Amino acid sequence: MTHNSTTDVTPHWAAQMHAQEVIDGKLDRREFLTRATGLGVSAAAAYGLLGLTAPAAQAATEMKSGGTLRVQMEVRPLKDPRTYDWSQMANQTRGTLEYLVEYNNDGSIRGMLLESWEVNEDATVYTLNLRKGATWNNGDAFTAEDVARNIAGWCDKGLEGNSMAGRFSTLIDPETNAAVEGGIEIVDEHTLRLNLPGPDISLIAGMADYPAAITHSSFQTTDFTKNVGTGPYLLSSLEVGVKAVLDRNTAHKWWGEEVYGTPALDRIEYTDFGTDPSSWLAALESDEVDMLYESVGEFIDVMDALGYPKSEVVTMATIVVRPNQLAEVDGKRPYADKRVRQAIQMAVDNAVCLELGYGNRGQAAENHHVGPIHPEYAKLPPQKYDPEAARALMDEAGMLDFEHEIISIDDDWRKNTTDAVAAQLRDAGFKVKRTVLPGSTFWNDWVKYPFSSTNWNPRPLGVQIHALAYRSGEAWNEFGWSNEEFDALLTQALAIADADKRREVMKKMEMIIQDEGVTIQPYWRSLYRHMREGVANADMHVTFEHHHYKWGWSA
Amino acid sequence: MGLFILRRSGVMLLTALCLTFIVFTLTNLYPNLEKLAKTQGNFRMTDEAVASWLDKNGYSQPMAVKYGQWLGVLPGWTLESDDGTTGRCITGVAAQVQAAEAPRFCGILQGHWGHSTVLQKDVASVVTERLGNTLRLMGWVLLLMIPSALIIGVLAGMREGSVTDRSLSTVSILTTATPEYVSGVVFIAIFTSSTVGLKWFKGSATAATENPTFENFFLPVLTIALYGMGYIARMTRASMTEVMTAQYIRTARLKGVSFPKIVLKHALRNALIAPFTVIMLQFPWLLNGVVIVETLFNYKGFGWILVQAAGNNDIELLLAISVVSVFVVLVTQLISDIGYVFLNPRIRIS
Repeated sequence: MTHNSTTDVTPHWAAQMHAQEVIDGKLDRREFLTRATGLGVSAAAAYGLLGLTAPAAQAATEMKSGGTLRVQMEVRPLKDPRTYDWSQMANQTRGTLEYLVEYNNDGSIRGMLLESWEVNEDATVYTLNLRKGATWNNGDAFTAEDVARNIAGWCDKGLEGNSMAGRFSTLIDPETNAAVEGGIEIVDEHTLRLNLPGPDISLIAGMADYPAAITHSSFQTTDFTKNVGTGPYLLSSLEVGVKAVLDRNTAHKWWGEEVYGTPALDRIEYTDFGTDPSSWLAALESDEVDMLYESVGEFIDVMDALGYPKSEVVTMATIVVRPNQLAEVDGKRPYADKRVRQAIQMAVDNAVCLELGYGNRGQAAENHHVGPIHPEYAKLPPQKYDPEAARALMDEAGMLDFEHEIISIDDDWRKNTTDAVAAQLRDAGFKVKRTVLPGSTFWNDWVKYPFSSTNWNPRPLGVQIHALAYRSGEAWNEFGWSNEEFDALLTQALAIADADKRREVMKKMEMIIQDEGVTIQPYWRSLYRHMREGVANADMHVTFEHHHYKWGWSA
Repeated sequence: MGLFILRRSGVMLLTALCLTFIVFTLTNLYPNLEKLAKTQGNFRMTDEAVASWLDKNGYSQPMAVKYGQWLGVLPGWTLESDDGTTGRCITGVAAQVQAAEAPRFCGILQGHWGHSTVLQKDVASVVTERLGNTLRLMGWVLLLMIPSALIIGVLAGMREGSVTDRSLSTVSILTTATPEYVSGVVFIAIFTSSTVGLKWFKGSATAATENPTFENFFLPVLTIALYGMGYIARMTRASMTEVMTAQYIRTARLKGVSFPKIVLKHALRNALIAPFTVIMLQFPWLLNGVVIVETLFNYKGFGWILVQAAGNNDIELLLAISVVSVFVVLVTQLISDIGYVFLNPRIRIS
């Protein structure tokens, strides 16, 4: 049941069951890895359950030791990691401030500062075993005390913008807005136990998310280059909007050298080329960078044609184009009527949104925000696309004359997808007005717009997304949706560690979301990144994470 | 003359006060403060969290009080909490004792330009550094633009209606009619991309802030210079043709003075009076030009921080930028007025 592959403890019963399913061909290997590692089985052990050996850790021989990698990325102002709202921020600090666990492209979660973890059957008690021999780069020992302090910090609802509080809400006492009494228990110097008042299966996945960086007790936000961390790199300079430099910290022995090998690069330079993808291409062409943060839109084809190597990953990242059920337009709540929402959904073909909005680079989705990479995904019968029926339904609701204003941010794919939705609604005979807002003002009211689009980053589990955005009264519930039946099912699902049993509940939740016409969630995005010949092990990551210790130049 | 400069300085101060107050009011409107709170806190923050953040950071005081604090005529705000004291004149969170030692007033009058919220740095150092970059860009622009514009203008104006005049005039009209955001894009497409194959220059001037080379710096310089060049050349040409028809030039020609000598010794000085004012007017306009070109070529200068500050509602940085802009506009006007006197002795400043 532990994560340490060298011990011969029996793996979690559910992991063994899933392994059998893979062998029987009932389960995808990637899904298996997410489920098994989420239950505390190491990736190596999980492959072992399938009778396979884990893909070898990157052989040090294929990479040159040393070198600098220059990366195009927005360089953002840093703040308390718990309030991070951009993956870029975490990448700037990830060299120094590390995470308890790490989410990988194959869907597995592996230990970083945690060596292993155990979850009890009903997911109410988590035992966290810390990496022994890890030290902070000022020489302090890394102990359970540090982790306890960080988890307590995640549970602090009083900090404005603390998004970790949403991920750890089970552990938070609503009376005090802090962690429940006795919830975080230090067993010994390297062991920590979390005693939850209710079951929650998503905590380990939450620890892999980018705002979950582990900070030292001396952490401050005035000068980030002076922060103490456990990582192999130091943020040696930070000029917001211009450049951030990470240098290998030779004065500190990184714990990971023994576990994951010595990092290859001496230096990583992040240069900010603004938000215009043509500038990114210019930077690559001018030999000012070796790798892009992300390639988007038509530039993917352009860079393919120019012969740059490409890295691609299918993700559960997506966009929702949704009406807000609580929003008032001229004193009325146009989207409180279920018929209006259903009509909107019925008038839009998701495949068309994928084609026009994202150049067919992805996979069509089913308007319920759970997808094939999520372990609890349940496939539903295809939805009906019928503009005629949609028009009739809208007419029945008496809203055919109503002018829908659909708001989107001003960029490439989010704007195009929203345009595609607007065009299809117009084709169905609805009146539509499109409003495009610049990025700097768009986010002011993103949860409150009557009808707008928002991009969503992937989460390892489907229930996480539902808990974050679809539960009644959640801060990020931009749909203005509240449904008691759904909330009850969600609470139930969050207590089922076994993904197969969870799928049965999830199926009902997916159906409610579809039936209520909560949102148009048209497709899942693939993500791309182009780089120069010779960049090694710097594949695009599902959640935009940069794992610097894996990167290098091929020999 | 002394009185004139003094009066001008007074007007300048008043303009700066009015303008900064306008900028201050606009940036302190509630939606803008909300945006600021969200960029500083978390852009998916709740309304209560926004209000509490604004409270804790001194933004919920009355407008006039905040402006007074920025100027330095009112004492800076402080806030005591369990962790310690925070305040306008205190960096980070300080203990009671340290907080007592902090200055009471810290505004422009005391030499404190404030803290840039987006760049997380002292405003004064941000502005000086970025202004330095832009001055370098502007210096090269002027070096390229003024001599070539004057040469084109003088050559065209020497003989009105000649082939030289017609072709040079066409070129100047063409360059003036093409704004930077058109010519810049065209240049990038032709001279930098792999598609055309003319990889003479680089399409990005980001590296030029540290290491300017002809390759990465010439295109932005050319883009700004071309636009202004046509205008100055047209003015110079008009002024030159007028001078060339003047009585004294005709007399000189009748007396047999050689043509180059007439142009250089007699016509040029008078012909340069009008362009001089135009050239001085280019400085404030250059500040506009750099906003577009710096964004296009990703050159991190004054125009770039202006965009950054405006986009993120960075109040104190925007105020400092407006002060600098007012200063540039009014000082160049002052210089052009004074220079005019030296070029044209008939004008007296009193």
